[in-house]
Amino acid sequence: MLFSLSSGYITLETKLGLKVTGRCALTFKGVSGTYFYEMEQDVKRFLNSLNPEFDLAYRIVTDSYGYVWIILEGKRIEDLLAGLTAVGDTVEEKGFSDQILAAVFEFSSERQGGYQYLIYNYKRNNFYPFVPAGQKDRSTEQEMQIMAAVGDEMPFEKDMTRWYPMWDLPLRSRG
Amino acid sequence: MIVSFAVLTILYLVFLSVLAYVGLGAIPIALIAGMMILAQWYFSDRIVLWSSGAKVVTREQFPELHDLVELIVARNNLPKPRIAVINTKMPNAFATGKSKKSSVVAVTTGLMEMLDNEELEGVVAHELSHIKNRDVLVLTLASLFSTIAWYMMQFGMYGGMYGGGYGGRNRDNGGGMALVLLVAVITWFVSFLIIRAISRYREFVADRDGAMMTGKPVKLANALLKISGTMKRIPTQDLRQVEGMNAFFIVPAISGSSFTALFSTHPPVEQRVKKLMEMEASMS
Repeated sequence: MLFSLSSGYITLETKLGLKVTGRCALTFKGVSGTYFYEMEQDVKRFLNSLNPEFDLAYRIVTDSYGYVWIILEGKRIEDLLAGLTAVGDTVEEKGFSDQILAAVFEFSSERQGGYQYLIYNYKRNNFYPFVPAGQKDRSTEQEMQIMAAVGDEMPFEKDMTRWYPMWDLPLRSRG
Repeated sequence: MIVSFAVLTILYLVFLSVLAYVGLGAIPIALIAGMMILAQWYFSDRIVLWSSGAKVVTREQFPELHDLVELIVARNNLPKPRIAVINTKMPNAFATGKSKKSSVVAVTTGLMEMLDNEELEGVVAHELSHIKNRDVLVLTLASLFSTIAWYMMQFGMYGGMYGGGYGGRNRDNGGGMALVLLVAVITWFVSFLIIRAISRYREFVADRDGAMMTGKPVKLANALLKISGTMKRIPTQDLRQVEGMNAFFIVPAISGSSFTALFSTHPPVEQRVKKLMEMEASMS
């Protein structure tokens, strides 16, 4: 499902001038316990082992909601997608699939400036756009543009009432 | 607007049925029906303005609204319609008129409050498209055909009744009337559905043409989302918060069933927004 982005990102660039920044993240609800700790260690071990062959850097952040963020940075979207999918698989293998909330992909806009996002909801298995505009505001207009551009080529959330925002994404801050 | 026309249509169908019942011939009734439909079309703008409470306003009263309309008609080489305002919180707009020159575009005060300038432009352009495409005439013609169908069927039934006379004429007459009534109702119902379908199609066309006039489909899409209240339902609450409250799956999907869709004069907002955004995507 995530891999539909490997063609979708080209459409976003040609139609809307949105560029992949090379930052994306997977987030899951943190819980306390040995199993969860082990899973986190597995994820880290996996990402460390990847480093030389894939061009990926990673960071792990816990946000104020108690969600753990595995943040990946890389140049090639294929590497990012493969990395995120593998991390997701590791989390699921350890029995925490219910904890996985979303994957987030960051884009930059030449026309509007600022960052725009595609959020992949793991419960609904589809993407939706999120374009923050200021503190607690969003640009529905630009979000609709994104849906119009890639809504048919990717699994997409057509019900706009489910486009839940994610404010203060830790993709660039320390969370 | 639609309600007052439906009431009118029913009224004259009843009136003509009475005429037929008292034994007036087919040709006089056809003439009367034709005149009535002509009158309905001729007075359509006055009927609509009167039933909606819209007041035609001058440039002095609403200078900005006049400017906005003038800008669109000038850019698209259309005659300027009269402009009317309805004093209500309900956001709405309509166009009416039998010719391009005598037409009226009406907006409510609620609509002007709710939308920004570009969105209002989108809605006004949509209404101007209805005028340009002569949709009032199209719908009047559509109802004319349904009326004709109604009468052809009624006279056909009467003819059949007189032709096939057995002995007990009274009993036959009663059964015949019931049958006439039943078929008449079915005819009316089917033509009602057809008129609604035409109306929905004309809405799509007006959306498309209106968006072409302003060159900004997304603004009309925005306006539709605001008017329908969909804009308010786009969440501002964080996904992580919603997930935490476990409310995520309780939220019911609000979508009209296809049954109610058959009866509505306008296509669902989601479909109209989708078409507008496809236009937007192909323009950029």
